[in-house]
Amino acid sequence: MLKAAIVGCGKIADDHAEQIQRIKDCHIVGVCDREPLMARQLYQRFPIKQYFQNLDDLLNEAKPDVVHITTPPQSHFSIAKACLEAGCHVYVEKPFTLDEADAKELLAIADARGLKVTAGHDDQFRHSARRVRQLIQSGYLGGPPIHLESYFCYELGRGGFAGALLNDKNYWVRRLPGGLLHNIISHGIARIAEHLVSDAPTVIAHGFISPFLRGTGETQLIDELRVIISEECGTTAYFTFSSQMRPSLHQFHVYGSKNGLILDQDQETVIKLSGQRYVSYLEKFVPPVSMAKQNLSNAMTNVRRFLKRDFHMKSGMKFLIESFYRSIVEDTPVPIPYREIILTAHIMDQIFGQLGVSSEPEHAAPSLETAIR
Amino acid sequence: MNFIRPDSLIIQEDDCILVTGAAGFIGCRVVDALLKSGFQNLRCLTRPSSKMNRLEKVLRAHQGGAQVMIMTGNLLSTQDCAIAAKGAAVVFHLAAGRGEKSFPDAFMNSVVTTRNLLDACVAEGSLRRFVNMSSFAVYRNFGNPKGRVLDESAPVEEHPELRGNSYCFAKTEQDKLVEDYGRRFKVPYVMVRPGWVYGPGNPGIHGRVGISTFGVFLHLGGGNPMPLTYVDNCADAMVLAGLTKGVDGEVFNVVDDNLPSSRKFLRLYKHNVRRFKSIYVPHALTYSLCGIWEWYSNWSMGQLPPVFNRKMWHATWKRTRYSNAKLKSRVGWQPAVTTSEGLRRHFESCREGEAHA
Repeated sequence: MLKAAIVGCGKIADDHAEQIQRIKDCHIVGVCDREPLMARQLYQRFPIKQYFQNLDDLLNEAKPDVVHITTPPQSHFSIAKACLEAGCHVYVEKPFTLDEADAKELLAIADARGLKVTAGHDDQFRHSARRVRQLIQSGYLGGPPIHLESYFCYELGRGGFAGALLNDKNYWVRRLPGGLLHNIISHGIARIAEHLVSDAPTVIAHGFISPFLRGTGETQLIDELRVIISEECGTTAYFTFSSQMRPSLHQFHVYGSKNGLILDQDQETVIKLSGQRYVSYLEKFVPPVSMAKQNLSNAMTNVRRFLKRDFHMKSGMKFLIESFYRSIVEDTPVPIPYREIILTAHIMDQIFGQLGVSSEPEHAAPSLETAIR
Repeated sequence: MNFIRPDSLIIQEDDCILVTGAAGFIGCRVVDALLKSGFQNLRCLTRPSSKMNRLEKVLRAHQGGAQVMIMTGNLLSTQDCAIAAKGAAVVFHLAAGRGEKSFPDAFMNSVVTTRNLLDACVAEGSLRRFVNMSSFAVYRNFGNPKGRVLDESAPVEEHPELRGNSYCFAKTEQDKLVEDYGRRFKVPYVMVRPGWVYGPGNPGIHGRVGISTFGVFLHLGGGNPMPLTYVDNCADAMVLAGLTKGVDGEVFNVVDDNLPSSRKFLRLYKHNVRRFKSIYVPHALTYSLCGIWEWYSNWSMGQLPPVFNRKMWHATWKRTRYSNAKLKSRVGWQPAVTTSEGLRRHFESCREGEAHA
């Protein structure tokens, strides 16, 4: 029975607790948050043995085998390091660390101690993402990818996370080196990193504040990003992050010398793009019918999975946690190779370096405004 | 407008009163009621993101000599709480995490904030009453000893986490926290639990009437009385409960007189605001569907979230009558705005909102 713990009891911790309790042969021995009320509320709502305010107490008293770190990213490195030094395996939510140097150091500590680490790139383990990986490995593309396109968009509403981000000038996301981008884009970047072979691809980034956000008075948060990535071997990739384009896509396109694939994360579909051309007017008739057939097949697969209770919104997270736990118990390779984690951090460093985004938070000290009438 | 006899007040007119959530739907009406009652020293705490137009309109309407301080701050900051609580004799705590779907977010914005404010009040030592804005959402309404009358003696949810509703969870925990501070630190408090607070500024149709899904409005309330309270009446109730002597530790439910049924409300809404198709779903069917949803959510281990369940049905759609007798007898509250007048104003505002949509 694997003993799990969660550090950081905010919104994403709920997803971790929900998925861990769906996995056999593991249980949550403790949760920790420096705000004790937050730790207690998670403890109240899930089958959790204890809650703590202090990380050392969690590690010493609950003695977890694996710790899930779901705190704001600024603290990922120090908490993960403390957990590794206490002999625990760690699952670190995205973004893994603030930069590549921290990522390398953490993974080196884990290696030196014979412990395992994974990053919270759970979108790469959804049903559709696994299907794409399987097709690529089976040679469907006709060789290594020639071009990749990753879209990872985010709709800025006024409530929830976005509301807090836009309204609170001291919100923790604003203090990240890459601001909003830093907290969100790693899913989309990791999708590209998985298929790159170089450790240092060329990255060209262009980011700006959307007219919409600028209209609200925002002067710091970059919410539009376009990136070109290229490798010496000839593989190229585009990455798009947008808060304004509609539909707000979460897609991955990959093209090889023979065929291509399109993954739509929101619809949980995979479309095969055949490189075959038909003669004359048949090109206008056959491919659309083939597309319709594929879309119907995707819909049927989704319905079947739903009926089989295998279509949870966070199915990717469950699969990743389960795979990670299995790698710990059976001492097999981790589900996300460390090279991918480091490369993702490297590309993000390159992007933020080029955008010149500042890690200085906007000044927003408590203000007292007196209106005496 | 209800007025309090000076000899019934727990404070003087120039004592400092803090109102959190002062720019909100109810908060600005509480400020209005306090100013109309002659209180001279108000501190209004608002979030940096608050739209100030409602509060500014209230302040413009009062050209007396009252000192009103508008403070922009965040109750998650202990520093802001300390500034806000400084010298406060009465705190009307209306700020809350409304509209948060996530349990941790709702909890943080209701419970952690309330704890910070209570800590600041305890440290300051000037507090004579903490008025906690609660909600009918905290009531279990199951196995109610008084049958179908829901009053202040009705049991509160023991396991609000099982209701599948983050607001219910956060509000129930907030109430427990206030009671705990009352016991441990002798914080004098009252709980004010309004039903559905309606009026200009809060458009739409409450879930107690029904829900809109796939383009059809499912009418679920049927003949149930709606626990309405017009926003000005609710603000009056808060002010009276907050300032009247001899009610420390008490809970007050707030509903108006002559409550309409869900069916009547829907009919009036359609007649006065806009017409749309609705389908009535009988209580037995809604109860069964809630039970099926609850079973499926458990069986599928959360493939569908447990937002519909039997506990939720009891709290929302079970036929229940409501009482405001305690509020009337203990603090002398009377709804200044009749339900028919309140509904007229509400529908007029909804109609204007529709016209501008």
